[in-house]
Amino acid sequence: MNGRAADSGHDRAADGVATQSAAPRRVLLLTHDGLATLVEELATADAAAVAPAWAGGAGRAAGAPGAPRETEYRAVTGAAELAFGGRLPRLSLKQFFLPPTEVLFTWRRTAGDVELTAAPTDVPARVVLGARPCDAAALPIVDRVMNWDYADELWNARRAATTVFSLACGVEDESCFCSAVFLEPAATRGSDGSLTPVDGGYLVETFSDKGEAFVAAHADRFAEPPAGAAGDELRAQAEAFRAAARERVAANLRLDHDRVRDWLEHHFDDPFWATLGPRCNGCGVCSSVCPTCHCFDIVDEPESVGHGVRRRNWDTCQACVFTLHASGHNPRADQNARYRQRVEHKFLVYPTRFGDVLCTGCGRCSRACPTGQDLSEVLAAIDGLSRSGAGPDTGGAGRSHGAEGAAS
Amino acid sequence: MSDRAATALYQPDLVVVEAVTDETPDTRTYRLRFRDPERAAAFTFRAGQFGEYSVFGAGESTFCIASPPTRAGYLECTVKAAGKVTGSLRQVDIGDLLGFRGPYGNAFPVEEWEGRDLVFIAGGIGLAPVRCLIWNVLDLRERYGDVTIVYGARSVADLVYKRELEEWAARDDVRLVTTVDPGGETPDWRGEVGYVTPVVERAAPRAEGAVAVLCGPPIVVKLTLPVLAKLGFADEAVYTTLENRMKCGVGKCGRCNIGSVYVCKDGPVFTAAQLKALPQDY
Repeated sequence: MNGRAADSGHDRAADGVATQSAAPRRVLLLTHDGLATLVEELATADAAAVAPAWAGGAGRAAGAPGAPRETEYRAVTGAAELAFGGRLPRLSLKQFFLPPTEVLFTWRRTAGDVELTAAPTDVPARVVLGARPCDAAALPIVDRVMNWDYADELWNARRAATTVFSLACGVEDESCFCSAVFLEPAATRGSDGSLTPVDGGYLVETFSDKGEAFVAAHADRFAEPPAGAAGDELRAQAEAFRAAARERVAANLRLDHDRVRDWLEHHFDDPFWATLGPRCNGCGVCSSVCPTCHCFDIVDEPESVGHGVRRRNWDTCQACVFTLHASGHNPRADQNARYRQRVEHKFLVYPTRFGDVLCTGCGRCSRACPTGQDLSEVLAAIDGLSRSGAGPDTGGAGRSHGAEGAAS
Repeated sequence: MSDRAATALYQPDLVVVEAVTDETPDTRTYRLRFRDPERAAAFTFRAGQFGEYSVFGAGESTFCIASPPTRAGYLECTVKAAGKVTGSLRQVDIGDLLGFRGPYGNAFPVEEWEGRDLVFIAGGIGLAPVRCLIWNVLDLRERYGDVTIVYGARSVADLVYKRELEEWAARDDVRLVTTVDPGGETPDWRGEVGYVTPVVERAAPRAEGAVAVLCGPPIVVKLTLPVLAKLGFADEAVYTTLENRMKCGVGKCGRCNIGSVYVCKDGPVFTAAQLKALPQDY
């Protein structure tokens, strides 16, 4: 049927868990002025860059006096909009590859016939400038699901059309835990190139053909780094920025993934889960803001008598109807089971089927949760349980997914 | 439709409704044929696989393919009106166009079963996937040993494939036991009266070298598995299908998993041994 989509060489390289940061192919310099010109140039050429930008108009930007301004990823037309170094954007980059809602095809019924018209997959080439490394890293992670035996053409078309330059992250706050999920604040996984702040601008590194092609196409905006001591100084500044960020995030969370996975595999019915459901109201905002949550619904939307569209919409395992059978039977009948599914999908199911984890440690789910459910706290608790050996008494109810049958 | 390949993954093929059969007051069987003759000629599947069926305007729903792969040129699904799509199917008439994506999922290993005795057990509409298998086996009858079918429904009216039940009853190379729940019988009912599980126990099919296939409501499956074990069937020789809710059918939409097992990709066919290793999330 549909062939497995071929990975690009870059994606394959980035797939290794140990590969936090690839060796750059090229190192260049982008001054603040160069960046401003680049952004304007792209907008003029009708290929506006997607970048972190100050959110909304006057109304939305206000917030509490003195509060940091909200940011969002969007197509930018001028440097004044850029929010490099601002707060973490509310939503991840996911929306540019898997939109919250999209048409899969349209159908039209005429006399004795039905005509289906596919959604276009001719996505114009575009660039993301200044992606958070945790958002860029999510892309190759979701690629695996979208190409698991069957290729998702819409996702792949957007991936192929997009060049992603990440911006080394200074770490948002204590909810960040990228370093606990095989990444780091300057991780380059999923990035075609990266920017790291240095005096006067950014040190630019490229990691893929797409990244190289972009800097070549806009060669006038990029400069070779100065030779000798001045160049060494810039590289040292970049490394100092990365090291400081690495140190800042390191204390937030540490996980022994093998132990966490083993605990999850053998504690499906652990009483621990019953402590989490009551705090979750099932709103699913954690899924919406998550860069790696990719579950979707497929629905028909009649536009009128005789024609309509079939849509794919973001969905969430936190909703009670997610797994509800037509018979009324629901395999995940309470919120404990639904919250467990979110944790298990990310730290047991995905790792078992694809490797590493379905999480980049961006912390958005913790920040966005209206009831204060904090994934890093939950993971720390599971990590603790896995170390305590016995953990809470499973009452002999714990079941293994493995060949061993019931757990002890 | 030159652009069809662009989003082939979620865009169904058009199928023409060739026949509609009332099975019970709320259940019908739809016989479908691909409108594109090339697609029809190229289409193959294996017993146990499922598809995503579209009613344009209502949406898509997941059903097993209820017709056997040994009968080419059409496919059938048997559907109980329960939700939006299944309800809309009630309005469908002969000649109407529906959508079909598939076949998806794994299948019953019928080739491995050659030479063995087969026991088919189904409750209610759970006969649909088993019926695919039964005809598959009966169409290649000489390759298999004894065939026993135990089928039960709530009432006589709720028995599906009534004409085929008569056909199987008339064959001397099939042992058919039908039953209805107590109170579901009619004055002229000549089958058993009782739940499927005790009827299976009474029928006591020989387990040695045999394979059992068990499909039906979760409660029937749950209660009958221990009876099969008691009769001597090894967990590896007992097969069933799981019916978790699905949307994409191809491992992406994220709702049919049971632990690390995806019903759409790893199932829908599982052995009792595999079921026992799964967490209770189905």
